[in-house]
Amino acid sequence: MSGNYRTWPTLVFLSVLTAPLILMYSYLFVDTITNTPPGSVIPNEFTLEHWRFLTETIPGRPSIWLATWNTFVFATVTMVIVLMVSSSAGYALSRLQLPARSFFLGGIMVLHAFPTVTLLIAIFLILQMLGLYNSLAGVILVKTALELPFGIWIMKGFYDTVPWEIEMAGIQDGATRFQVWTKLVLPQVKPAILALGIFSFLSGWSEFILPLVLAPDNNVQVLSVYLAALIADDQNFDMALFKSVGVFYVIPVIVLFVFFQNRLMNIYSGGTKG
Amino acid sequence: MRILLDKFTKKFGNLTVIDEMDLEIHDGEMIALLGGSGCGKSTTLFAICGIHKVNGGRILFGDKDVTNVTSQERNVGVVFQSFALYPHMSVEQNIGFPLKLRKESQSEIKRKVDEIAEMVHIENLLQRRPGELSGGQQQRVALARALIRRPDVLLLDEPLANLDATLRLEMRSEIRRIQRETGITAVLVTHDQTEAMSMCDRIAIMDAGKIVQITEPKDMYDNPVSDFVAGFLGSPPIAFLSGQIKDGNFIEPSTKTKIPLSGNITKNHNGRNVRIGVRPEFFQPGSGITIGGKVTFIESQGRETLFNVTLSNGTILRSIQGKRSESKIGDQVEWGIDAQKILVFDEDGARL
Amino acid sequence: MGNSKHLGLFLLAPAGIFVILFFLAPVVLTGVFGFTNMSTATGITGGSYMVSESAMRPLRSRFGEDALADQLSKRIYTIDEEGLQAAAEAGGDAAALTELRSNFFNESFGNRREVETAIKSLNARPSTTRGIKIISAQFVKSVINVRFDTFEELLTSIADFGIELSDDQIEALADVTYTGWTFTLQNFKTMVELPDTRKTLINTLFYVFTTLILFNTGFALVLSISTHYMPTGPAGFFRSIWLLPRVTPPVLYVLMWKWLAWDTGFLSVILEPMGFAPRNWMLDSPTNAWVFIILINGIVGASMGMLIFSSAIKAIPASLFHASEVDGATRRQQIWHIILPQLRWPILFITIYQTLSLLTSFEYILLATDGGPGGATEVWALSTYLKALQNYGGALQYGYGAALSLVLVVIGISVSLIYLKLFDFKNLTAPPKIE
Repeated sequence: MSGNYRTWPTLVFLSVLTAPLILMYSYLFVDTITNTPPGSVIPNEFTLEHWRFLTETIPGRPSIWLATWNTFVFATVTMVIVLMVSSSAGYALSRLQLPARSFFLGGIMVLHAFPTVTLLIAIFLILQMLGLYNSLAGVILVKTALELPFGIWIMKGFYDTVPWEIEMAGIQDGATRFQVWTKLVLPQVKPAILALGIFSFLSGWSEFILPLVLAPDNNVQVLSVYLAALIADDQNFDMALFKSVGVFYVIPVIVLFVFFQNRLMNIYSGGTKG
Repeated sequence: MRILLDKFTKKFGNLTVIDEMDLEIHDGEMIALLGGSGCGKSTTLFAICGIHKVNGGRILFGDKDVTNVTSQERNVGVVFQSFALYPHMSVEQNIGFPLKLRKESQSEIKRKVDEIAEMVHIENLLQRRPGELSGGQQQRVALARALIRRPDVLLLDEPLANLDATLRLEMRSEIRRIQRETGITAVLVTHDQTEAMSMCDRIAIMDAGKIVQITEPKDMYDNPVSDFVAGFLGSPPIAFLSGQIKDGNFIEPSTKTKIPLSGNITKNHNGRNVRIGVRPEFFQPGSGITIGGKVTFIESQGRETLFNVTLSNGTILRSIQGKRSESKIGDQVEWGIDAQKILVFDEDGARL
Repeated sequence: MGNSKHLGLFLLAPAGIFVILFFLAPVVLTGVFGFTNMSTATGITGGSYMVSESAMRPLRSRFGEDALADQLSKRIYTIDEEGLQAAAEAGGDAAALTELRSNFFNESFGNRREVETAIKSLNARPSTTRGIKIISAQFVKSVINVRFDTFEELLTSIADFGIELSDDQIEALADVTYTGWTFTLQNFKTMVELPDTRKTLINTLFYVFTTLILFNTGFALVLSISTHYMPTGPAGFFRSIWLLPRVTPPVLYVLMWKWLAWDTGFLSVILEPMGFAPRNWMLDSPTNAWVFIILINGIVGASMGMLIFSSAIKAIPASLFHASEVDGATRRQQIWHIILPQLRWPILFITIYQTLSLLTSFEYILLATDGGPGGATEVWALSTYLKALQNYGGALQYGYGAALSLVLVVIGISVSLIYLKLFDFKNLTAPPKIE
């Protein structure tokens, strides 16, 4: 940014490109509380009827509240396990003497880039064999596993920035390595834990393919699968209802995005920068 | 407590950084490990506190062999260059942390923290976070934290490097005062000769993983064992002249200046090529054996003025003069070398 | 610090378990399953042994054992104790059964008609056809369509049936009667032979490179460079807006596109006055389907490049920009000579990373077109999923799906290793400073 070039051409240029996106998002919200006459794009009346799914269970579907609860459990438990496992493994990789350390580091990097979705069929069969098919526990374990390389990578990166001298000082003060980690280093990486936590939660909340393949049953259905099934049902096509369910589904995402935007931007880019 | 390094050896991978080093630090003494970067001084410090494992030899604290004792159990206090204060704890918590790990009682910790805070003059800062302190204050907190356990030895790793010039001067005397008050054995790692000379009882000067000379600061300045030591100590640095010993004199070839040397040096080395070292304070107008050259550089340092005098073969002699001098750049001068004070080194740099 | 080594392993162990269970095992198993004919029909765990119609076909065609197949397929009827008892329980006439025992005990008949003729010949024969049928049904003896857990049980049963088998026949029988999955190279042969594979491959290459060039790097550069030339306020606003598609759950994000495209959706309504008939714009032609697929994926993909390129541009010292402006550079020259050279590595990184992710992810395509219309947008990864995991009545072909996946897994591992090479790995593995 400097004063030597005019800014308005770029502003106009990007505004034009961005307009369709803004339009789509605006209509997403407007359509949930209005009716629009056929053949028009301008709503003509306010209504709350599209939100009736909150109180009436749609025939053939689980209750929206059960699906919401499942989604919440799925996203939260995934987040907690990802945080615990990544923060410990990341520390070990960043700071501790390990046999075959560079092998582990290389492994994490390869896994980080490796497209895990290609393993879906094998994972599906493994869950069948373990008897965890169609259970939240199974799909949580899988989701956690797939998030881990990223999480460990992020945490390792943050641990790397904690000065060694802090750890040396801790050891001189008589702390064990474990105490150094929990009492001295973990408090320094709180921002990383917060960012990774939000990221994992959102990632779990938005996940579609894994629950679709690994836990499709009504009683363990999450909102993404619920909504997809609703849309796929040709008998009851109701775009306003779909959008309302969608908005209901996306509320936590929007809230977290608004509050933690900068942290998320960092992790969306920083995590993959290596 | 006496600290003894006995044939201490340290390797990083295949690279031997320190090979069979012996070093004895007397009880209650403050010693400096002085040297340029990569000389092994920090490695030695890390070995004493146990952060680095030893690849050979022993480390003794008093009579106790601590070679295989972990850092946590060695009872060593360390002040790091960056101070390494825990940013998420208050000053009080920082200082009390070692005691908390030992599970001492709250009241006991409080009493000891207050006591040590008073000694390092930070009583009024106890509730602050490290981020809210100035460099000098952080330094004091780091000292307090290192001392609160009453360690057997205090290690200071470049403690003044992160401070600005005036604070450095203040902390130099403060650290020395605190070390004297506690009577603790202390090791100062530094690359700054002024720090080493002004703060320590003895200096161990290191080069390439070896201790080159270990003695009191004054003695090291006056009687360096090699041109390396002579060049390391003193600011502005010593100047060297190459020449030959002939019939009891040092002959400078370009000016044919003769400088008489003491008998016990010339006796065995007649005809030998040597270098003599002349410190700036011993190259002055109007005294000693004069040598001619051109003034090529003048730097006023306020109270004193530094002159570079270039001889006809390009060698530079330095002179530091307190009195106002009339000389200007380009002047041809004939100043005198104090023959009593020159240092003679052989071709390999060893003192004769 | 002897305990540090153990602490490290202890802290790493949970991650290790996850990696082994859900990365290493799946990679290996994908390799294994790719060489099997596993499907819903064969089951996942071991199978059983059964003489079935479908098992007899290969017995005839592959082993030429027509006679044996005929024998095994035959049903015979034997009047024995077991059958008599069963007939009594089924409500067969008691007098008729007693007479049957005395007249025909241990006699065999080739088919049901013959048994029933024998029953009709009895003095105490049941009065109704139904009464006769109840009895006759109880004496049938056959190995066909009976499941045996082990091959030995099947052999015993065949021996009971009175058929003697040669060693070759036993071997052939073991082969054809096994109902579980077996190892085969058939998947890869099918893959090479099917014309669909070729089409999918071309689709995939088209999809990956078009999206990558137009959006994941191209549009990402446009976004990051144009926001660079803006005051911080609007720049942040635009970056947030363009990050939204990545943050929005895929199901909802694609729903918004569907709303745009469906036959009474936004586009149809807007375009109708201009003379375009309303239609489902996303699925009405392969071209339109591709436009939507590339937009949907590209806009999500662009956000990552945007963030990475933006932070790389931010890392360029301001003095460089100032200097070039003093030297009289136009904006275009500044972009070309100052910004783009600094983005070389980020662009390379994004290219590699996004190639992999585009190659293997199929979530948005599945939700948007499901490969349609008529397989026009079916890419390799989606085809893997459709073959193995999406059941439209047909059997799920795990083996074939795994074989398709294996191709991607191999590409994935190779590219990941290249990715590893490109990083400063040595720096990464600098040893810990506390020993």
